[in-house]
Amino acid sequence: MIVAFRENVEGVLLACKELIDHPDIVLISAKDRDEVKAKMEFSGPDDITLLGFRGAADTTGIVRVLFGRQAQKIFRRDPDIEGYISLVLRHRSSRPVELVRFLCSCRDNAELLYSGKGAIAKKYYDIMRDVSRSYHRLCMFARPFPVNGVLSVKVDSPHRIGDLFCRWLARKNPDLPVSVIEGDIAWIGNGGHVGLEHFAKIPSSSAGSLEFSSKIDEVDDMWDIYYDSQVIHKRRNKKHAKQLQPKESASMSRMSERDRYKVERGIVSCTLDNFIPEKEV
Amino acid sequence: MTLMERMRVLSEGTKYDSCNQSAVCHAFGPDGRCIQLYKTLMTNACSGECTYCPNRCGRDALRATLSPEEIVRITWSFYRRNTIEGLFLSSGVIGDAERTAEQQLEVARLLRSQGFTGYIHIRVMPGTPKYLLEQIADCANKFGVNAETTSSVNYSEICPNFDYQSDVLQRLQWTRDLIKIKRREAGFGGRVIGANDTQFVVGALQESDREIIGTVDSFMDRYELRRPYFMSFDPVPSTPLENNDPSPLWREVRLYQTSYLLKDYGLRASDLDPVLDDNGFLFDADPKMLLASCSPEMFPVDINSAGRDALLRVPGIGPVGADRIIRSRPVSSEKELSRMGVVLARARPFIEINGKKQTNLFSFAGVGA
Repeated sequence: MIVAFRENVEGVLLACKELIDHPDIVLISAKDRDEVKAKMEFSGPDDITLLGFRGAADTTGIVRVLFGRQAQKIFRRDPDIEGYISLVLRHRSSRPVELVRFLCSCRDNAELLYSGKGAIAKKYYDIMRDVSRSYHRLCMFARPFPVNGVLSVKVDSPHRIGDLFCRWLARKNPDLPVSVIEGDIAWIGNGGHVGLEHFAKIPSSSAGSLEFSSKIDEVDDMWDIYYDSQVIHKRRNKKHAKQLQPKESASMSRMSERDRYKVERGIVSCTLDNFIPEKEV
Repeated sequence: MTLMERMRVLSEGTKYDSCNQSAVCHAFGPDGRCIQLYKTLMTNACSGECTYCPNRCGRDALRATLSPEEIVRITWSFYRRNTIEGLFLSSGVIGDAERTAEQQLEVARLLRSQGFTGYIHIRVMPGTPKYLLEQIADCANKFGVNAETTSSVNYSEICPNFDYQSDVLQRLQWTRDLIKIKRREAGFGGRVIGANDTQFVVGALQESDREIIGTVDSFMDRYELRRPYFMSFDPVPSTPLENNDPSPLWREVRLYQTSYLLKDYGLRASDLDPVLDDNGFLFDADPKMLLASCSPEMFPVDINSAGRDALLRVPGIGPVGADRIIRSRPVSSEKELSRMGVVLARARPFIEINGKKQTNLFSFAGVGA
């Protein structure tokens, strides 16, 4: 029997349940029904069981069935099992079928997901942390601009976390519509303010009116003044500052790029004004 | 002065409070993320006469003030651009503590009324009335008063305008009680209420590290202090302490390390006696490493059978690492330990895995066990 499951948390958990009940099934994954069709062109549609493509499943219930009591997480701030699956699926090199098999191998022992013991457990834990770190970096270093009343930002993450970040930005600014453009997709949060659904996905070409400003405005200047005012040269802990403002942050926005430059090179205390006699300044 | 100039002056006034010496002040959000804060004074025109402070009244310095509306505007500008996720608001004393707290409360109220959902930390002045603390607790995520030092006698020497017992300790107790009440309130509008915190100025007086550690320990018991901050004293020209020596920065670092031993490792102040010199001062060395070196009979610790307390005594193993080890047993190699976040370079001399341990000079020479 062939089981096609949707590449989301529900689909993965339903596939796990199915695989445990019928260990001989062949699993395939797809983003939507069209992809299932494309993958199954060689076979009759009657042979396939579809999981996770319609309705909402009780994911919490399935997690309880699969893993018993929720495992005590190995690290306090790791996500729960559903969050873990969601993050892994967003990774650029995520392989959902392999993930399903791994989750089944951790049946009744969810701690294995977080322990990193064994090559495959380590691989998935690292994948989860990798996506989680990228998301946290976006939250920390993406700098949206208000454009035509919409708080807009273009993100360029290797993982599919645009929607996650958009939801976070929308929660942070509940009184404004927000737009996160990720490749050819634009995620709109708080869409009710502009006549859309609360959370919507539209082609980025439709969000063309959201021109991105690259010029430096008053807030940029104000931030520079504030940032510079906080530095105590003799107390600078460059190593720590680099951890808080990692190299990757520089590509996320111009402001972060400037902040990262200051972490690397320090803040110049000497400007051209220093070379002009005082009366001319 | 323009708004930008005043903002710069008042932000500079807070930079010495920075605990991480990186750049912009940080806090940690409830989800564990590190968040940046806009940290500012409302005014540096202070009516207090604290002997170490650059903002003390009568000192010849550039004075500036930001109105509540201006602070709100700057905070929103940074917040919208996602450069910050919260505000840390302190101030010089504007006439008296009550008036200052009213102004601080005004900032928090304005922000909340405009839909600000970010983090607000208010550093209230000693002597802030209880009714204002209660109102601040309704708007802020965190608030607290600086203790600055360890005793009434010391306090009267550096902060002559306030009384340690009533203006500081009483406020720490009220803060603790208010935090408890707020945490009991269901949901509290989705906001997180931070634990009690305070700050000490290190090195302005002759107080020893033993006194500071003892005070922190007793504050943790009495006021449920979670996080003490330490600020190294740096003499400021035109202040009464201008001729005193600056406190070495390493002392601040070592005090932070000992505070973590109290907070996260369950040690008491008396447990730290071995890491203090005869005068009660810390050495410039990792206190946990010193503690371990002072008790060689407790090591090596068997990774696969030791209890949590024994694991926590090992340098390089923290509370998270100890929990990971216990849940992941049996541990068969150093590589596994490293994956769990154990700092092997520190831990190696103090641990044993499946009977294997690092040779030390004594066993190499055939001395001892």
